[in-house]
Amino acid sequence: MILVWLMLILFAGGIGAWLSESRGVGVPRVIALVAVLLDLALVIFMLLAPESIGLTPVASEQGEWLVLFQADWIPRFGISFIFGADGFSLLLIALTVFLGLISLGSAWHEIKERSGFFYFNLLWTLAGVIGVFTALDLFLFFFFWEVMLIPMYFIIAIWGHENKEYAAMKFFIFTQVSGLLMLLSILMLVFLNYEATEVITFSYFDLLDNNLSGVLGMLLMLGFFIAFATKLPVVPIHNWLPDAHSQAPTAGSVILAGILLKTGAYGLIRFTVPLFPEPSMAFAPIAMTLGVVSILYTAKVAFAQNDLKRLIAYTSVSHMGFVVLGVYAWNAQALQGAVMTMLAHGFSAAALFMLAGGLQHRIHTRDMDKMGGFWGVAPKMSFMALFFTVAAVGMPGLGNFVGEFLVLLGSFQVSITTTAFAALGLVVAAVYSLIVIQKVFHGENKNNYQFDDLTFIEMACFALMMVGLLWMGLYPQSMLDMAEPTLRSLGVAFP
Amino acid sequence: MNVDLFPLVLYSVIVIVLIVALTAVSHLLGQKRKDHATDEVYESGMLSVGSAQLKISVPFYLTAILFIIFDLEAVFLFAWAISIRETGWLGYAEVFIFIAILIAGLVYLWRAGALEWRSQRQRDDRLHTIGKSGVVNIDKKTGKAHKTEQPKQGGAH
Amino acid sequence: MSTDVLIDLLQIIMLTLTTVVVMLVAGFKREHGLVNVLTTAGLAASLLVFVFVDPVLPLQATELLYFDEYSLFFSALITLGALSVSILAYPYFESHNSHNEEFYILLMTATLGAVVLACSTHFVSFFIGMEMLGVSLYAMIAYPVHAEKSAKFPLEAALKYLIMSGLTSGLMLFGIALIYALTGTMFFNEISPAIEAQDLASSPVIIAAWLMIISAVAFKLSLVPFHIWTPDVYEGAPVPVTAYLATVSKAAMLAVTLRLLLISDAFQYEALMLVLTVMAAASMLLGNLLALLQSNVKRLMAYSSIAHLGYLLIVIIAAASIPGILSVESMGFYVAAYFIMSLGGFAVISAISNSGKELDMISDYQGLFWRNPWLASVMITVLFSLAGIPLTAGFMGKFYVFTNGLQGSLWFLLTMLIIGSAIGLYYYLRIIYAILQQPGKISKQDPAMQAIPFGTHAVLGSMTAIIIYLGVYPMPMINILQSLAAAF
Repeated sequence: MILVWLMLILFAGGIGAWLSESRGVGVPRVIALVAVLLDLALVIFMLLAPESIGLTPVASEQGEWLVLFQADWIPRFGISFIFGADGFSLLLIALTVFLGLISLGSAWHEIKERSGFFYFNLLWTLAGVIGVFTALDLFLFFFFWEVMLIPMYFIIAIWGHENKEYAAMKFFIFTQVSGLLMLLSILMLVFLNYEATEVITFSYFDLLDNNLSGVLGMLLMLGFFIAFATKLPVVPIHNWLPDAHSQAPTAGSVILAGILLKTGAYGLIRFTVPLFPEPSMAFAPIAMTLGVVSILYTAKVAFAQNDLKRLIAYTSVSHMGFVVLGVYAWNAQALQGAVMTMLAHGFSAAALFMLAGGLQHRIHTRDMDKMGGFWGVAPKMSFMALFFTVAAVGMPGLGNFVGEFLVLLGSFQVSITTTAFAALGLVVAAVYSLIVIQKVFHGENKNNYQFDDLTFIEMACFALMMVGLLWMGLYPQSMLDMAEPTLRSLGVAFP
Repeated sequence: MNVDLFPLVLYSVIVIVLIVALTAVSHLLGQKRKDHATDEVYESGMLSVGSAQLKISVPFYLTAILFIIFDLEAVFLFAWAISIRETGWLGYAEVFIFIAILIAGLVYLWRAGALEWRSQRQRDDRLHTIGKSGVVNIDKKTGKAHKTEQPKQGGAH
Repeated sequence: MSTDVLIDLLQIIMLTLTTVVVMLVAGFKREHGLVNVLTTAGLAASLLVFVFVDPVLPLQATELLYFDEYSLFFSALITLGALSVSILAYPYFESHNSHNEEFYILLMTATLGAVVLACSTHFVSFFIGMEMLGVSLYAMIAYPVHAEKSAKFPLEAALKYLIMSGLTSGLMLFGIALIYALTGTMFFNEISPAIEAQDLASSPVIIAAWLMIISAVAFKLSLVPFHIWTPDVYEGAPVPVTAYLATVSKAAMLAVTLRLLLISDAFQYEALMLVLTVMAAASMLLGNLLALLQSNVKRLMAYSSIAHLGYLLIVIIAAASIPGILSVESMGFYVAAYFIMSLGGFAVISAISNSGKELDMISDYQGLFWRNPWLASVMITVLFSLAGIPLTAGFMGKFYVFTNGLQGSLWFLLTMLIIGSAIGLYYYLRIIYAILQQPGKISKQDPAMQAIPFGTHAVLGSMTAIIIYLGVYPMPMINILQSLAAAF
């Protein structure tokens, strides 16, 4: 039930924020803040002291579930509310709520118009994402998968930048259409299961025993894969992302890069591979190749961008390539690496987008050619930029390094060639990242921009993320331990 | 039962062939001349005078269609009349309802002015062309009834 | 005739009574408000009949009408649609058009026709219902033709609809006549045994007859290639009539068509199924593609309705190979969902239009969200529902279509469905985007800022509520549909 509460608080907070819009800019954001803080408190309890709020882990065949909630929804089709959270889900929920707080911070001074409706959309997106991370009924999962898009669409379409119509439309159509393919696969899976067992059900646990293989299994698997790969994104279907990220307002970019991309990775780990083990293994070489292509190709494209946000967006795609690689290598190290990369990238990408957004808010451009020499103007901001850029590149001691290193370690056992190419990505990453620092913060301030340095709220946000990344880099075991039971239950052999 | 379509097809083919043949033969064999009388309706008859398109007053159609409608309803009464014993009181009740609705329709038509020859607007116009002494004023330039004032009330204009 | 029959006929009796009363009142006291209230009350009363009178089911009342839960469901839907149109029509016509009273008489007769269609299991009542509906609609479409300033071109629309409907009726009659000539029956359920008894199934005449009937139905449902009248008529007609045309007329036609196809076992004809498949695919594709080019919301809704009926046709085609229960249930759900969302959409257009000036260009909706958030929210909900996004009734409808298509293994049509939906998203989102943008300048005379009458609010609110309710918790509706589908 506590998972439902997590969502209900956000839903209610969103409605409250919207209704209080007429009372000025200040009220909605306070309401939103209270809702997110409440959620954060709940999540912290769940993480640190589950017993204190009456949670006892439920052990079942399919792993150990800290929380499992079940209720009928549409019994006609065997659809029910099944919400469950194990260690892996909990980590992602924590990431979601935490980055929700960060995005609130980044929107605090930026969003002046219709702020009530903005916070409504923000909170509903967060609630939708929590739904995605906890839904264990395929219909319910699909439901949340689509629902989280709508408020995000509003965020881009209303508060976006100059080319928002195109970006919002592209974002929505890409995810929606790939979602339809997934719906088709889900329905086909349920239908086949119905033919085999005479029971119509959408429950994840029941559908796990499907034993599908051959062409049919492959097609169904692809339905899921395309949906998740679009969200992740993987190279041939990635090109909604740079537009959406660069046009979204800062808070939108933070949520998109920090959380929404992770839903794709989550889907791959939780659904695609476990539901279709055989087809997935057959498909793994192709998927890993796609992952490597993502890493290298987008790194190269990122290198050619003038637009700061687009550049960061492309680097996101590049980093998510490691996740694909890790998932499809499907062994203990690689998967742990993928999970770590998801978490660490959530922080570093969110921070970088927040920086880019903050910069745009101050000087009204994202064109790097116009920037330069900002170290002198805003030293705090420049320091943060350096820190998070270095983190993203994979500096040892920070979270991203652990993730990417583990991924490479794991995939090395599966395919040496792919790993070798993927490792090349790390080198390229260093190049494009340093270019950013050089162009924006070093050199001379050609246009003589003068602006305020980071505000207190922004500093607080960055500091929180810094602590998080350091934690992940120095004590990754705490997170790996949480994810391990989940991965074990998915059939991954741990040494 | 297997429907034999052959006779129908054959019949259609013969009809088409005949039509084509007749026009083709007259086109090929007939002499082609272009006199001033060629385009007349009756080459050797009287010249037609005036337009063939008679103008019939629009209210005529309204009256005619009302007649047809009510006339057709009588057909239903006829069907009832010949089976009056078989249908009994139930049939009587049904016909009663039928006629009641019909009368309601007639009342409505009457109230709506559908039975008048002139429309409400024409009547209004006419009223306004009659002067105080009962003289109908005609505009000399247009030859139409001269309006003394514009009708103010709403109506289909 | 027993009292049972009278109880079942109660709704039709209520509607007829209302028609006559409205007609007489219109004759004696020309007052728009009075007539409107009477019509609305009559429709509401006949809707309440469903709630309070427990009908005796199923029952053959006279040879022509058959009452079962299926017909009651569609009758209720039709009456609900007519009720909403009646409520919307008052502010639309009031003070911009004179002589509004007859509109309600036409509305009532059209509704009667639609209810007859829903109760029909016989070709004669099929034809009578279709004509009653059609003839009333010509006049309804052309209704503001005498107005000093009419927003659209009602006469052109009415003429197009008249000519197309005339053709349709001809085709329909020819088809019925051929079937009657061969089988000697007009009852839907007797056709199949008669054909079997005489071993007629492969006769070209029977297939030709079916094709004629299907073409006639396709005209009414505006399926490609019989769709050409749709955008012009939708645009030219006054908004409440367009709403009526898009909902009541289609729902009634679908109700009788599915019943006809299911109980007369028309699915055995491969030629027929092929034609239906081609029509479905073409409707989905062309409807969606042409909708892309529209800048007028009413025309866009017309093309979107073509596409939606293409989706629905998947259910009808799948009925050939899956249990009738599922297809009736699915159809019921989709029709109800489509009905409600169209009504909601047209209610929004109607709320900011009147018969003197209609705001139906996409640019008129620019910034509606800031000018009138309530109307904009309704419109956005409706558009998301039309696009089939979860949380809305449209999604559950699409879910049903997918289920049917999968069970019937209609891969080609499912592919078209996905392509169509993808294209569809684009034009729905275009309107949503326009709604969300900053308005250029807001004037005091802005129709979207004027007070909206209570009735319109009620329609908007209830349609939105039903869309969300059906999308989030469809179970009660599914239970109803399952019990009515059990008969098939």
